[in-house]
Amino acid sequence: MKRAPKSFEEGLERLQGILARMQATDTPLAESVKLYAEAADLIQYCNQTLDTARLQIEEIDTRLAKASGVEGMDDGQ
Amino acid sequence: MADYIDVTALNRLARQVLAQCEPLNNLIVCGEISNFTRHYKSGHLYFTLKDANASVKAVMFRDKARLLNFEPQNGMMVLVYGNATLYERDGAFQVYADYMRPFGAGAAQMAFDALKKKLEAEGLFAPEHKRSLPVMPRCIGIVTSKTGAALKDVCQVMGRRWPLAKLMLAPVSVQGLEAESSILDGIRALDARKEVDLILVTRGGGSKEDLWVFNSERIARAAYACHKPVVSAVGHEIDYTILDYVADLRAPTPSAAAELCVPDQNRIRSEIYSFKQNIQNSIQSAWQMCYNRLSTARPEQAMRIQRNALGAKKQKTDDCSEQITRTAQNALALKQSALGASAGLASSLNPYAVLSRGYAMIMDEAAVGIPVRELHPGQNITLKGDGARAHCTVNAVDSDGEDRNEKSSKIL
Repeated sequence: MKRAPKSFEEGLERLQGILARMQATDTPLAESVKLYAEAADLIQYCNQTLDTARLQIEEIDTRLAKASGVEGMDDGQ
Repeated sequence: MADYIDVTALNRLARQVLAQCEPLNNLIVCGEISNFTRHYKSGHLYFTLKDANASVKAVMFRDKARLLNFEPQNGMMVLVYGNATLYERDGAFQVYADYMRPFGAGAAQMAFDALKKKLEAEGLFAPEHKRSLPVMPRCIGIVTSKTGAALKDVCQVMGRRWPLAKLMLAPVSVQGLEAESSILDGIRALDARKEVDLILVTRGGGSKEDLWVFNSERIARAAYACHKPVVSAVGHEIDYTILDYVADLRAPTPSAAAELCVPDQNRIRSEIYSFKQNIQNSIQSAWQMCYNRLSTARPEQAMRIQRNALGAKKQKTDDCSEQITRTAQNALALKQSALGASAGLASSLNPYAVLSRGYAMIMDEAAVGIPVRELHPGQNITLKGDGARAHCTVNAVDSDGEDRNEKSSKIL
């Protein structure tokens, strides 16, 4: 792979771009072959990412926001 | 002169007596609002609470009033939380309200409708203000109770559909007096987080009363002010709250909200699969195109050249072959005619053929043909004629200077 995508979304986006390039009639075969190889890696990356993903849950302390001065809204009437 | 007290003292006394009456210090009064006024300058609320038989004055100070999550109106039944005592200056007995909320379905509906109308007029529900949700949110802020069924449902659905997402939970209490401020804090805390892509405010089903806090004006305004899209999912499908109207997207239930917030991994997987197919097809057709170009150009030409070359060679071969056949035939005919001539000559030279014409052959004892000049007298010879032979003895041999007849007679 040229470089591993930073995220699943980027992987998918790059796949989209590759497909568009490959479907363009003016793309030379040599480039298509390179794109094809890159696409194969991206597909593997995306599938693997989906396979191994587990929903993460993080809890935040809402009192921090309060302490940091996010003020309540006044209706001002 | 009788003892007297002045009015101030009287009222102070009355107030002190009332203050000692414990139930008055912490009470909940149910009544209908009338003569409602919001003091234009101070912001304090003044109104009268009444029922069928009695009425009492009531006041709610500005800092309490601004925590109200509905618009009090004349004719609305409310529960007023607070204390009752005497206002010394006027000698007026009145209720000091710390908090109040609509009482009963009718009042709740009135409050709801009034707030809805107000916010709608302000444009908080405007469709053009609604933001669309990110297609693949990475981080979803969720404002809900940490122990509620809603969180469980959301986790379950998101874990199944889109486990790539991260849930950032702002644990809040979704009922009770502190619910409103807790939810507000949750929304604002999540909105302040950079990584949060959207905010889901949710709670499971409950009574109208339970869900009432989501009709809060302050929550509505906080949701409207959010920088991130807000999804609301409160109660069941039939429950509509003010928050639902303000939110960018309203989901009928927590599970449904989870479905709406994230894509389905199966759909994405099949999308990837179809990418794969399309890319496969593309490369194949690229190869095919290349191959076609090659096969229409070079091999065709090569084939033609080859075919032509083959044709020429075949022609040459055919010519050669014909020539060879012809030559062979000629040679054969020549030999045959030579053979025929030879055979004629041979047959004409056949010595036996002469015998039929009356000649005889001379043969010595060894049956070998012998010329006459080589004979010697006394020699036994055989004369072979046509169909017979004669055994003779040579008398004499003369050279040819003699009379031919004599010789011939000698021979005979």
